Amino acid sequence: MLKNALLASAALLLLGGSAQAATWMGGDDQPTNPLACDATPPTAVAKPYDGGQATNPADLKGKPIKVVDVPKLIGIGYFNATSKGIADGAKELGNVDAKTDGPTKANIDEQITFIDNYITSGVNGILFAANDPVAISPVLKKALSKGIHVVGYDANSQPDAREWFINQAQFNGIAKSLLDNMAKETGEDAGIAIVTSTFTTPNQARWIAEMAAYAAKCHPKLQFLETVEAQEDNNLSFNQATTLINKYGDKMKGIFGMTSVATPAAAEAVTQAGKCGKVAVIGLATPNAMKPYVAKDCVKSVVLWNPVDLGYAAVEVLRAVVDGTLKSGATSVKAGKLGELQVVNGSEILLGAPFVFTKDNIGKFDF
Amino acid sequence: MTKNILVRHETILAALLVVALMVLTTQSSHFFTVENLLNQARLMAEMGIVGLGMTFIIVTGGIDLSVGSILGLVAILLGVFWKNVGLPLPVAMFLAVVAGSLAGLFNGFIITRFKVPPLIATLATLALYRGLAEGISESRSVRGYPEWFYVLGQGDVWGIPTQLWVFLALAVVAIFILGVTPFGRTIYAIGSNAVAARFSGISVNRSLLAIYTASGFLASIAGVIFVSRVSTTRSDMGTGLELDVITAVVLGGTSIFGGRGTVVGTLLGLMLMQALKSGLLLAGVKGDGTITAIGVVLIGTVIVSNLFRMNTDG
Repeated sequence: MLKNALLASAALLLLGGSAQAATWMGGDDQPTNPLACDATPPTAVAKPYDGGQATNPADLKGKPIKVVDVPKLIGIGYFNATSKGIADGAKELGNVDAKTDGPTKANIDEQITFIDNYITSGVNGILFAANDPVAISPVLKKALSKGIHVVGYDANSQPDAREWFINQAQFNGIAKSLLDNMAKETGEDAGIAIVTSTFTTPNQARWIAEMAAYAAKCHPKLQFLETVEAQEDNNLSFNQATTLINKYGDKMKGIFGMTSVATPAAAEAVTQAGKCGKVAVIGLATPNAMKPYVAKDCVKSVVLWNPVDLGYAAVEVLRAVVDGTLKSGATSVKAGKLGELQVVNGSEILLGAPFVFTKDNIGKFDF
Repeated sequence: MTKNILVRHETILAALLVVALMVLTTQSSHFFTVENLLNQARLMAEMGIVGLGMTFIIVTGGIDLSVGSILGLVAILLGVFWKNVGLPLPVAMFLAVVAGSLAGLFNGFIITRFKVPPLIATLATLALYRGLAEGISESRSVRGYPEWFYVLGQGDVWGIPTQLWVFLALAVVAIFILGVTPFGRTIYAIGSNAVAARFSGISVNRSLLAIYTASGFLASIAGVIFVSRVSTTRSDMGTGLELDVITAVVLGGTSIFGGRGTVVGTLLGLMLMQALKSGLLLAGVKGDGTITAIGVVLIGTVIVSNLFRMNTDG
């Protein structure tokens, strides 16, 4: 009796949960700002500074500082590239001792523990790419309260938990680039699926929300079939993509890969299913991972920015904050060899426009 | 008599803990400060609470792999009851804990009624509860809890982290039950020889149901504390917790075959693991090095303890 009741309630909950899940694509609830359907550049909107501030930081202007970089996880090509960028920037600055350490899974519990322990070890600055924007904020605020400078890159926390955030590209710019390239390959009337990391990862959720808004505005006939989670895991991404191909068959004309792990895995799934050319794969990925698929013409375009530059900019900004040359209210910051970077959205520093890798230019990059 | 106490696993472990603390203190001046020790205790509390229940289970020769999933499920249910159903937060907390205890009861039910080995049963519920958590939450997170809720996970009472008080209270109760009461003796009897225990008139099934429910209950408490500490609920919370907890319990001297083990040992094992994680990181060792170190310590401690036992047993 008890067993039956338990099983029945479990089944009902599962059904209820999954029935609702079909209609949600995985975007976050924040307001979206889709760009124009043609090539009109976006208008810059000034916003007051909304970042947090370190409490009574030590005056280390010009002096050597110890910095730790805690990405979402270690061991994948993307964060190896950002780590390299940070190391390059630290070497160029000369007075920054930077170390990258983090969890081996994209798990927010472990990331919080890492940051907490590094706060105790007395670092002067923390660079991070958050697995969850809300969960990571208490520990970052703790760092700020101890006078440690906090700068984020790639995936944001809540604005008042860090001083600055290096945004690789505007969220709506990435959405526009991804969708325009997809519509070019699949045509306007097609079924599309999305493979993302998790539904709460801040950058992926933001991109998906902007993609939904932009698609509704400029590609209304595209149908979004499903969004699946693959948690930056290679195997899981491959399995999820294969499941999508088997589930939707000819109805699905394209797959978006929202993480640098999901896109090559989806391309591999499409290749192994023999659907190269029939199912388009567009997404964010490092060029090295995609070179074999682009060479085979399975993947026509890969959207990204330069993660090495992203890491480099992060450490340059952190040094500028420590030295006091970058203060709240600034409109731009000089980031070493990258030149002047614009400040957008109050406390975000824009790396630049998204870059599209195609067969013609992918050979020039090595990361 | 004295020799027996000296070569008990727990004593060896305590000595090892002291040595580790001394060595790690020399590696970093930040390690042995009141602030760091309290902070580590705060981070350790959730694992500790779950470890209390796990000790009882492993002493009976069983195992509970679903504790991490129960933690995640309870975290999600807390958010669902509070935000989606609209219940007042204390009621939501209570119901979430009840749900987690029911999950533990379900584990015990499958194990006792259908004679499924605990390893298989809890392996299955590990997937079941995690799947439920993902399905119910649609992988969205719930945020925006009121300020008083965060005192549980992030606040202090008289300078000691709140969850540490909860953990200590539960630990005292657990030590008492396992060490002093007849129920504790029952647990050891079941672990030493379940068949003999049954034929001695001990109600084995009821005892097992009780400890698996308790494990679910403790995992729920840990889940509520966890949500309070990170101020949000996510369906992937607690993944991998079961392995850390089992490591601490086995490190503490509880035999995986049952019949031996104490809560004090588990506490020592927990402290040693947390000290290693904290001290090694402060000494500059990166994450993977710490995991290797804990593995080596676990193997070493079990081997040394077994050697001593082989010498003292006839």
